[in-house]
Order: sequence, then structure tokens, then C-alpha cells
Amino acid sequence: MKRYRVAIVEPSYIITEGLKTILAAGAEFEVVFTTSSWRTMEERWGVVRPDVVVVGTQTDCGSTLRSSAVDWHAVALVVLQTTVREEEWLRQADGVVNIYDDQHQIVQHLRRAVEQSETNPYNDSHELSEREQAVLVLVAKGLANKEIADKLNISVHTVISHRKNITHKTGIKSVAGLTVYAMLNGLIDV
Amino acid sequence: MKTYKTDGQNRVIFSKDMKVAELVDADYSLLSILLRMDMQLPFGDLSVEELCRRYGISVELFLMICQVYSTADYLPDVESLKANDLKYVIKYLRASHRLYLGELLPSIGRGVERVLECCEKRQRDIVSNFYQGYCEEVRAHLEYEEQNMFPYVESLLECKMQPAASISQAMEHHTDICEKIDDIKSILIKYLPEECTLQQRYELLRDVYAMSEDLARHTLIEVKILAPVAARQEQILRR
Repeated sequence: MKRYRVAIVEPSYIITEGLKTILAAGAEFEVVFTTSSWRTMEERWGVVRPDVVVVGTQTDCGSTLRSSAVDWHAVALVVLQTTVREEEWLRQADGVVNIYDDQHQIVQHLRRAVEQSETNPYNDSHELSEREQAVLVLVAKGLANKEIADKLNISVHTVISHRKNITHKTGIKSVAGLTVYAMLNGLIDV
Repeated sequence: MKTYKTDGQNRVIFSKDMKVAELVDADYSLLSILLRMDMQLPFGDLSVEELCRRYGISVELFLMICQVYSTADYLPDVESLKANDLKYVIKYLRASHRLYLGELLPSIGRGVERVLECCEKRQRDIVSNFYQGYCEEVRAHLEYEEQNMFPYVESLLECKMQPAASISQAMEHHTDICEKIDDIKSILIKYLPEECTLQQRYELLRDVYAMSEDLARHTLIEVKILAPVAARQEQILRR
């Protein structure tokens, strides 16, 4: 079974060590890096090569959780909720772990976040999933990310992550190019 | 005939003392640069320095452009360039525009038509429209440069400052024309029906790859040579 590389960014030593112990009990997740500052995480990103990044709500990473300074491809982002944060901030994550969750729930959240991030490089299929096809069709029809999110009842962040996957799988970036793909594959009528 | 010098990693060492013949032998794709600069063969034993003197281009700029084409991940250091070098940079970029519009795009267009002959009308229309759209975009992009960006830089060289304009603004206007050509590659390689034989796709893809690589370098010259030197000149004029 694949072991996911986990990095924890959390200012509290107790919480970091606690989470580490909980994850060490299972075989699925391996904590490979811990730090109290987001800056350090960014600097070490390329060396750490995380599959999952757990970020505490009290971490100094500002309002944009998904910093553009690092490559998020194939990385699941999990928020570790120790304090109240606004909905918008939390929604950027692939999953949320609450400080009162039990061991089983924590592992479950991480597992789901990995699935949610869906940029799993070990799933090397180049076929578009049903969801991705649905997003592609709406992209080709000229809808903006927000409109697509409303229509499919998912977050804007999830739309963006689907779009990244679509581009990764098809090798096509531009909307016009994606439209050609959708038409050639009969996903939309001409 | 290899007589040019290489470094420890077997990369060509470009220098003003090397012969033009060595330069070409080191990387024959540089012939396309010589052609664009209207530098005529044969060169005999002419050195790069003598060539540059003959055609009135600074040897620093000439070697920089050669390296942009020849060395992967090369980042030009514009410290050694003078504002006046931009005249030649623009001359070079204009020549590239002529190459794209006059030769590469039409040639790709013919290739697209040939490949599409075997497709159903529906598929033909889809891809053909996409390509037409791309050509329009490239045309508009190049026109913007010729009509706005280059004249602005030229005015800087005559020490005329236009208070409302700046090179950084002009660069913002600068749309990305590299992205779609990569999409064309993917579509040609991955998604056209099998009826289009590789033979048909081969020449087309060769042109598309050539165009894509050239555009990437073209953009690099604009972003890493033209823009910073022009911005430096703006600063000098503002003082």
C-alpha cells in the first residue's frame, strides 16, 4: 500500500506531536516534516515533497491558504481546525480535521482529502472522470468557475482542481482548445 | 568538423572569437537567426566579432540571441547591453514576425488542411475553426507589438518620454500566444481520428513544433531582453 507523505504546519508543539502519534498508529500516512511556520513549509516544499499538507488554523499563512508560491499539483490540503475561521478560508481545503475528532475520524478526513484532491499521481488514468467531463462541458460552453460551481453544487476550489486535472490529462490549456476536445469527443454538439 | 570549444557538460562555449562556421556547426538551428538578420553566406573564416561589425550589431547582443536559441534554460543578463542595442532587437523581432506570418503559419495552415481531408466534415470544421481563431490571435498579438510596443521603445531611444505609457503596461497587454500552439500539438497527436496517417501529421507536427519553440524564444527575448532594457531607459529618462 502507498504511504502518503504528510507535512504538518502548526504552531502548537503539543498538537503537532499529538497528530504525529495518531498518524503513526496507522500505516497509511507518514509524517515526514513538521514546522510551526508556513514560510518554512514553502521554503522546504521541494525537498519535503508532501502528498498531504495539514495546516493549523492558527498558522501564519494569511487569507490565501493555497499559496501560489508552491506547486499544489497532486497535493491534498487539510485544515486542522483549532480555532474558528471563516467559511471562505476553510473552503480552500480538501478536508477539515477538527481538534475534537477521534483517531478514526482524523484518518478518515485525511483519506477523503487525498481522494478529493484527485490529483493523485498514482492514479495515472488519462480518461476524464464523469465529474471532469461535466466541468469540461461547462467550460466549453463559456461558463466562469463560479457559475460552474453553482451549477454542479461544488466549491469554486473544486472546480479549479477539476480544471487542473482536465488540463493535465488532455494536455490542453486554452478554453478554445478544450472546446475542440469536447466537440471531437462528442461531449457537446457543434 | 567540430572545432568549437565546449565546457565540462559538453555545452558549446559561445564567444566572439569563434568562427561563424563553428557557430553554425555547433548548432545549425542558428542558421535561422542568421537568415532573419539577413546575414549572407559564405563566411569563410570570418569570426563572430567580425560578422557583428560587418552587420552593425553588438557582439554581446548577437551572442545573447544565439544562446537564447541554443542553450536550454539560458537567462540573458542584460547588464552588458546598451539602450541602442534595442534597435537591433526590434529589427530581429520584426523579422521573426515576418517569418511567422509569411511562412510558418501559412505552412501550418496547409498542413492542417491536408490532415483534415481524411476527417468527417464536422471534425474538419471544428479543428479548422480553432486554427483560424489561433491565427487571428497571433496576428492581433504581433500587430499590437508592431503598432504600439515597438514604436514606444523606439521613441525611448530617441529620448522621447511618453508620460502616459510604459513598457510594463505594454507587456501586460501582451497576450499569451504560446499556450494555444501547445494545445494544437495535443489535438494533433492525441485526438484526431486514426484515419489521419502519421505521414500526414508528420510534416505538420514538425512545423508546429518549430513554431512553438521559436515563439517561446521570441517571448523570452521580449520579456528578458527588450522589456528590462527599455525599463532601464525609462528610468534614465525620468531622472
